[in-house]
Parts: sequence; structure tokens; C-alpha cells
Amino acid sequence: MDNAERLFNEIVKEYSERVYWHVRRFVNSHEDADDLVQEIFLKIWTALPSFRGEAQLFTWVYRIATNETLNWLRREKVRSALRFTSIDAEMERRIDSDPFFDGDAADRALSKAVAKLPEKQRQVFILRYYDEMPYEQMSEVLDTSVGALKASYHIAQEKVRSALGKDIFTGSD
Amino acid sequence: MSKRNDITTPEGYFGDLQKRLSEIPARPVRVSPVHRLAPYAAIAASFLVAVMLGNAILRHTAPAPAEDDTWTYVSYLADALDPDGAVMMDPYDYGEEAGEEGLSAEDIVNYLLADGITVEHLNYLSYEEGY
Repeated sequence: MDNAERLFNEIVKEYSERVYWHVRRFVNSHEDADDLVQEIFLKIWTALPSFRGEAQLFTWVYRIATNETLNWLRREKVRSALRFTSIDAEMERRIDSDPFFDGDAADRALSKAVAKLPEKQRQVFILRYYDEMPYEQMSEVLDTSVGALKASYHIAQEKVRSALGKDIFTGSD
Repeated sequence: MSKRNDITTPEGYFGDLQKRLSEIPARPVRVSPVHRLAPYAAIAASFLVAVMLGNAILRHTAPAPAEDDTWTYVSYLADALDPDGAVMMDPYDYGEEAGEEGLSAEDIVNYLLADGITVEHLNYLSYEEGY
């Protein structure tokens, strides 16, 4: 086993579960999340020779995961348009029919509200709310200033709050 | 409301996922036809861009085509020597009216000469007008 393979296996061990949960929040389906995680790690493996160590491994992995997830979402949008449905309706359908969704009605409503957020706000919301990533780290992953991320998260919170009709963010920033 | 417990995975999923992911380095690298053809497509596109750019540059920098001296001269002669338009109304249109063969400048000069115009007269007129 060479160094690249050893490093790749460490990345798999360390980040596969986190990447899965991150992706799953976007795609709202276990099967699609599973496929996408494999695509992401294939990308990580092929891009590993170009990893210079300037960015933290964690940031680099998350950046690839986020970009690949956005590409998937864009492809899904086109697929939905070809089926004459909206991506929002498709995401709602996925949330309702997901056999691995184990939450209550409020959790379901939250997932639906998050799925309706614009791309950038959804990214920020998932990273901050579900992945509990500090703004400084998010700033490196998304290549956006901390101030802009805070503003995006605030707007996303407002939209979710308004969609749910109640405040679930008490105590969070 | 929990943040993560609302979604689950099949039993033993992450163990299986890690096993599958760690097999990625052993997989043969597959190059899709799109990636294989990409360099050739890039070369073709560059060539096309170069041709279009060259064409655009030439169009903007090349001098305007010089007026056809022969036709200016013939037009002048037609006006000067045949004011009634017996030979032609518009020397630039006559090609269409003259049928498929058309008339050359030489034909017109020959016609004028045959019509009694002397070479000296033609030369005199061309000298006077600076042709």
C-alpha cells in the first residue's frame, strides 16, 4: 500500500460518515446519498495527487463534497424539469417517501423548509445547523467571508422560521 | 426536535460504506469517451476561434477595395460619348441587360471605335479627365 492509498484510507475512516450525513441532508434520500458519497470519494481519490496540504484536509474534503453535491442538485433540477415537476416538489416527495426518515411531523416540516431554501442559503444552513461547523471553517470551505455567511444563515433561519410558523433557533446564532 | 436522529441508515451501513470506499484505489481508472475526446475538441475549437478572429481582424484592418478603374473609365466614356443612353443607361447594369455573355470593357471600347470615335479622341478624353 503506497502513501496515497494510506492517506485515502485515513480520509475514508475519518470523514466518510460526516460526508454521508452532510450529503444526505441535501439529497433527502439514502440511496442517492450512498451513490453520491461514492462519487465524492472517487473524486477525492483522483484529486489526491493535487492535494498540496495548503488547505486543511478537512476543508479540502468538505469542499469537494459540497461542490459535488451542488453539481448533483443541478443535474437533479434538470431531471425534474424533464419530468415536468419542480425540484421542490421532488424533494418533498423524497422526504415523505424516505423509509429511513425517523423523525416526527416537525422534523419532516423542517426538512421540507430547508429543501426549499435557495442553494447558497441551504449550504450555509446545513453546514451550520446540522453539521455545527464554525463560521471560520465554513468560510474556508465555501470561500465566502464570515460576515456574508452570518447574513446568509440569518436569512435562512428567518425563512425556515416563517415556513414552520415557530422559532426553533432559540439560543443559536 | 433532534438535529440528526430524524434520519437513519440501514443496519451496519457505515461499516459496509467504509469497506466499499476503501476499494476505490484498486478500481481500474475508467476514462469516459468525453474525456478522451476533450483534447481534440479543444484543438478544433482553438483553430476555429483563430480563424474567426483572423477573419474579423482582416475585415477591420484591410483597406477598402479600390474602385475598378476600367469601369470608371467606361462609365465616363458612356456618359461623355453617348449622352442619350443609346449604348446603355447604366454602365454598371448593362451586364444583366446584355444577356448571359455580358460585355467586357474591351467590347465597349471596340464599339465606340467602330462607331466612329477615334483613338485620339478616346486618349484625349482619358488624358483630360486624368484616367
